[in-house]
Amino acid sequence: MRRGETIRSVALGLALSAGAPASAHAAGYSEFLDSVQFRGFRAEASYTTDSNVTRAPAGDALSDRILGVRVSAGGVIPLSTRTRVAVQGFAGIQKFGTYTGLSNNFIGTQGDFFFRSSGEFTAATYGAFVRTAKEEYESTLRDGYRHAFGVTVQKPLTDRVQLFGGLTRNISDGKSTVFDARNTALRGNADWTLGRWNTVYLGAEYRTGDSVSTVSRNDPIRTLGFVNTASAIIQDDAFNDTPRDAYRLKAHTVIATLGYNRAFGERHAVDISLRRAQSSVQNAVAPASGSDLRYTANQISVAYLGRF
Amino acid sequence: MGGSAAVRAWGELDDPRRRVLIQALAAGIFSSAGNAAAQLLGRTPARLPSGQSIYRVSGSVTVNTQQATLQTRIVPGDTVETAPNGEVIFAVAEEAFLLRGGSRMVIEKPPSGLTTALRLVTGKVLSVFGRGRPTRIVTATSTIGIRGTGAYAETDPEQTYFCTCYGVADIAANSDPSSRETVSAKHHDKPLYILAKGKAGEAIRRAPFINHTDQELALIESLVGRTPPFVFPVDTYNAPRRDYP
Repeated sequence: MRRGETIRSVALGLALSAGAPASAHAAGYSEFLDSVQFRGFRAEASYTTDSNVTRAPAGDALSDRILGVRVSAGGVIPLSTRTRVAVQGFAGIQKFGTYTGLSNNFIGTQGDFFFRSSGEFTAATYGAFVRTAKEEYESTLRDGYRHAFGVTVQKPLTDRVQLFGGLTRNISDGKSTVFDARNTALRGNADWTLGRWNTVYLGAEYRTGDSVSTVSRNDPIRTLGFVNTASAIIQDDAFNDTPRDAYRLKAHTVIATLGYNRAFGERHAVDISLRRAQSSVQNAVAPASGSDLRYTANQISVAYLGRF
Repeated sequence: MGGSAAVRAWGELDDPRRRVLIQALAAGIFSSAGNAAAQLLGRTPARLPSGQSIYRVSGSVTVNTQQATLQTRIVPGDTVETAPNGEVIFAVAEEAFLLRGGSRMVIEKPPSGLTTALRLVTGKVLSVFGRGRPTRIVTATSTIGIRGTGAYAETDPEQTYFCTCYGVADIAANSDPSSRETVSAKHHDKPLYILAKGKAGEAIRRAPFINHTDQELALIESLVGRTPPFVFPVDTYNAPRRDYP
C-alpha cells in the first residue's frame, strides 16, 4: 500500500508541475495507476564461460569467465480485454575475470504491446517492443547506448511445446563509431516442457548486419584483409595484453541455444544453457577470404533466476 | 502411367517396401508411435470425444483402485487416486480436473439440485465447472459451494488452500460454522486458507497464490469446449525464465 501511495504522490506532483488543475489530473492518474498491475521484481545471477570474447577468428579468440547480475521490475497495464502494455526497468553488471575492460554496468527500460485474440489455449500472442539501455564499460570506446525494437509472436503448439518467434532491429551507439552497429535478428525458440518444473529449450537466431571483431596485428596479411573489409577501425582499449584493433564488419551470424530450466517452485529456477555463435563476413576484401574472417564462439552459462 | 502394366488388382503388392508399410500399419506400429510422440511432445488440447474421460495420465493413477489408462471412463461415484509421482487430467460431464500427485478425490453422485459434488480427501486439484451449474466441494476442513468457477484446492487434515480462480465461491470452515466467506473473483483475487482449528469466526485466512497456472486452467477448460474468462495468462504464476537480449 505504501508503494501505491508513493506512486500516487509522484503522479500528483507531475500533475502540479504540468500546471494543470491538480484535482483533474490526479483523478486521471489515480485511475490510470489503479489499472497498473505490478509484477514484482526479478533477479538473475549468472556464471558464463565464453570461448571467444574478442569475436575473432581462431588464433585471436580469447576466452574468459563472466559473472553477471541483472535485476528488473515491471508492470502490466491492460488497455482492453485483448490488448495490454507491459513495461519494465532493468539494471545489471557483468564482471569479466581476465579482460576486465569488457566489464560493464547497464541500465535500461523496455515497453511491450501485446495482442491476443482470445483465452483459448492455443491462441497466439502478438507483440511489439522497444528497448533502450545505457552501458558503461571499464574501458571507454564501448560506452554508449543500445536500442532495439521489433515484433514477436508466441504460440502454444501443444500442451508441452511452446513456440516463440521474433524479428528485432538492434542499434548500438558507442563512443567510438566502430561500436555504432546496426543489425537485424530473426529468432525462434521452442520450449519443451517435461513435467511441471522442467523445461528444455532450443533457440536459433540469424543476425545480419554490423558485427565487431577484435584482432591482434600478429598476422600482417590477415590484418590487411581486416583493414580492407572493415567499415570502421579503432585500437580496442578493452584489451591491453597486446595491441588489438576492433573492426566493424558486415556479417551473417547464426546463434544456436540449447538450454534447460529447472524450477524450484514458482519463484526460483536454475537455468543451464549452451550457446554457439558462428559468424562469417559478408564482403571479405583481398587479401582476406571469407574463411579468414570467420569466427565461432561457445558459451556455457549457469544462472539462478528468482522472482520476489 | 496410363498403361495396363501400371494398374494392378487390389491386394497385389509387388513392392516389398509397400508390403512392409502395410504390415506395419496393420500391426499398429504407427499408432503406438503416435501415442509415444503425444506423450513426449504433448498434443493440442480440445474437447474430449464423447466416451473419453481422460486426457492425460502419467505415473501411477487409479480409478476405483483399477489402474487408469486413456480408455478408462470416469463417472459420478468414482474415486480417483494418484500416487506421489502420478497426475491425471480428466473431464466428467461439463467439469474438468487436473489431479496432482498424492491425491484422492471422490466424485460423488450429485444430491438433488446439484450437478456435481466432489470430495477431495487429500491432495491437490485444479477444477473448472460449467457456468450456472451449482457444485459443492468438500475437503478435509471446508465445504465450498461454487457456481461457474475455476478453482484450485489443496487439502490435508490441518488446512485447505482454496483459490477461486474466477467465478463465485461460498466457503465455510467445517469446524466452525461462523467462519464463512463468499469470494467473487475475476483472476485469482483472493486465495484462502481454511483451518481445521481456529478461533470462532477466524478459521478462514488470506493465503498467497500457489501451485497452479493460467495455462493449466486454459488447458482443462478446452477439454470441455470452453475458454477461461481471461485472455492473457499471467506469467508470474510460472517459474522465472531467462531472457536473452
